[in-house]
Amino acid sequence: MRMVLASALFALSALPAQASAMLDAALNEHILPGFAELEANAARLSEVATETCDPQSPDLRAAFNEAWDSWIAVSHLRFGPTEAGNRAFALGFWPDTRGVVPKSLAKLIADEDPIVEDPVAFLDVSVAARGFTALEFLLYDPALAVASDYHCALIRAVTEDIAITTAAIAEDWQGDYGAAFLAPGPDAPFRTETEALAAVYSGMTTGLEFTVEARLGRPLGTFERPRPKRAEARRAGRSLHHVLISIRSNAELAQILSTGHPEQAADIAAAFERAEEAAQRVDDPTFEGVADPSGRLRVETLQQRVTNARDTARLAIGPQLGIAEGFNALDGD
Amino acid sequence: MTTRRRVLAGLLASGLVPAASWADAGSPAYLAAARRGDGRYILVGLTADGLPLFDLPLPARGHAAAAHPKRPEAVAFARRPGRFALVLDCSTGDLLARLDAPTGRHFYGHGAFSADGTRLFTTENDYGAPRGMVGVWDAARGYARVGEFSSGGTGPHDILRLPGEETLVVANGGIETHPDSGRAKLNLPAMRPNLSYLDPNGALVEQVAPDPALHMNSIRHLAVAPDGTVAIAFQWQGDPYDAPPLVALHRRGGELRYLQAPEPLHRQMQGYGGSIALSGSQVAVTSPRGGILQLFELGQGAFAGDHSLTDVCGVSPRAGGFLVTTGTGAVHGLSGGVLDPAGTHPLQWDNHLVGLVPA
Repeated sequence: MRMVLASALFALSALPAQASAMLDAALNEHILPGFAELEANAARLSEVATETCDPQSPDLRAAFNEAWDSWIAVSHLRFGPTEAGNRAFALGFWPDTRGVVPKSLAKLIADEDPIVEDPVAFLDVSVAARGFTALEFLLYDPALAVASDYHCALIRAVTEDIAITTAAIAEDWQGDYGAAFLAPGPDAPFRTETEALAAVYSGMTTGLEFTVEARLGRPLGTFERPRPKRAEARRAGRSLHHVLISIRSNAELAQILSTGHPEQAADIAAAFERAEEAAQRVDDPTFEGVADPSGRLRVETLQQRVTNARDTARLAIGPQLGIAEGFNALDGD
Repeated sequence: MTTRRRVLAGLLASGLVPAASWADAGSPAYLAAARRGDGRYILVGLTADGLPLFDLPLPARGHAAAAHPKRPEAVAFARRPGRFALVLDCSTGDLLARLDAPTGRHFYGHGAFSADGTRLFTTENDYGAPRGMVGVWDAARGYARVGEFSSGGTGPHDILRLPGEETLVVANGGIETHPDSGRAKLNLPAMRPNLSYLDPNGALVEQVAPDPALHMNSIRHLAVAPDGTVAIAFQWQGDPYDAPPLVALHRRGGELRYLQAPEPLHRQMQGYGGSIALSGSQVAVTSPRGGILQLFELGQGAFAGDHSLTDVCGVSPRAGGFLVTTGTGAVHGLSGGVLDPAGTHPLQWDNHLVGLVPA
């Protein structure tokens, strides 16, 4: 009656033939170019900040916006190099439910904390006072975007820190971690190709989930209680823009993960296009209009279309890759 | 079925046959429910090293299990809101009894045996009321229903017995549900979780509740240490980015002592403690949503490290550390802060890894 377990079981799924090709494409067409662009834009932002630290400077703001764009475009790749040393949190601490970001910055400014003079020491500053979310306050918040010598030093410290952090992520991906990603094995971060693909796939699904639940869900709140002030990056007017970047970047990744299945790839592409169209119809960069019935409807439609794109991608890709996701995470008990 | 159950019960009660022991089932150290690659559900016995020893079919998705302290019997509970539990003979694979929730009740997925193994206690929902109940079953006589009493709150989930005594400790999650609306949470604004200590007759001997400001922190899963320390894993029902501590320790007569990792690590838990275990000087809590396991020192409550594991949930003590299971089929040992792969199986381990070491 007692059985030997292994003989009684079936594998979850056969390994797809395209697994290595997909890993290669994910790395060389999505991950590496994305982090290389982030590294370059962050380096440029830091350079511009050494030239001007005036929070009103169009050059500084443009460099900031470009660098933040390139972070949002890879921010769904939350495994490996972005997680070491809390780098992802250090690049963007949001949602900030308790206002820790402005509080941490205000304290540094009030104390004129000399830690801004030492880039290595600055790595130990609370993640809330680092990264793009902090820099947004320093450039756009009426109370914190107030020029002074210390403010200038703080902007330079934050931008240099962003450059260091993004360079470290890019270096890891270009080096050992990227190599190990393509060569799974017993002692590598991923033991099988399916495991490595599952990490990328999970980045896509949780990235889209974040866009649905946090980027759109938090400002939407409930019909009775809309919460427009909870919109991400509203000070810099980038709330809707982040949703668009997330849709486009994950659409690209979804195409890579559906290699070899052209019909499903076309369905997925169409679902992401519908989401992008819905985003373009939201004429409200910071979701201020969620309290107004017609404005709200457009944001809700966008949320539904992103949800649909995520579900389309999930249903088409997950089973093909042999990924049985979230057995416990989705159970909730 | 009834006849077979009576015969078995009679035999076991009369002592006419030599009693089977857990050694007859290969001496498993753990039980865990799982889903196979073909979609079927099973209950698996594992060795102390985390190797599967046997598996028995389940008719639907399981959740947790309760192991009889002496006989090789396991009670496998259906996933909430299940209406049945199966008593399985782990040495023969036979179905010994089927527990059907009485009319108007469903199980929550956890149960505990009395120290002598004569009684099984199950957490249940009296959903018409609604109120949390503990059902009492006679494990010496074919698992007949012999009574029930209040769990001390709403939405009881985990239930354990304190080591070396008959006192039960119940996690009353505070959340009201009704099987007609599936798992929908019906009372979040008004929920009031508590930890209740009950004697085996149902008398409430002690109760402790989170601070009113934390009333949306659902007390869900428990672990007990040999010295009677109870560890609690919470599931936060409020803003997921604003979760309070998700682990607490309690000793009879004391207050809740909360443990939390520093930010931003705490955020990685996503407001959700899935399973909790105590081993030596440490407590481990898992979050399948965050794909993370966090460790704390019992003494000062200091954060003692974390480990990323996709869909991690099951965790149980073993010599020198913990054994961990995931929804991707992996089993890991965890000792001295080092995660040691102990096999990957073509199945998905369900929420809990239940240790058989008698308390």
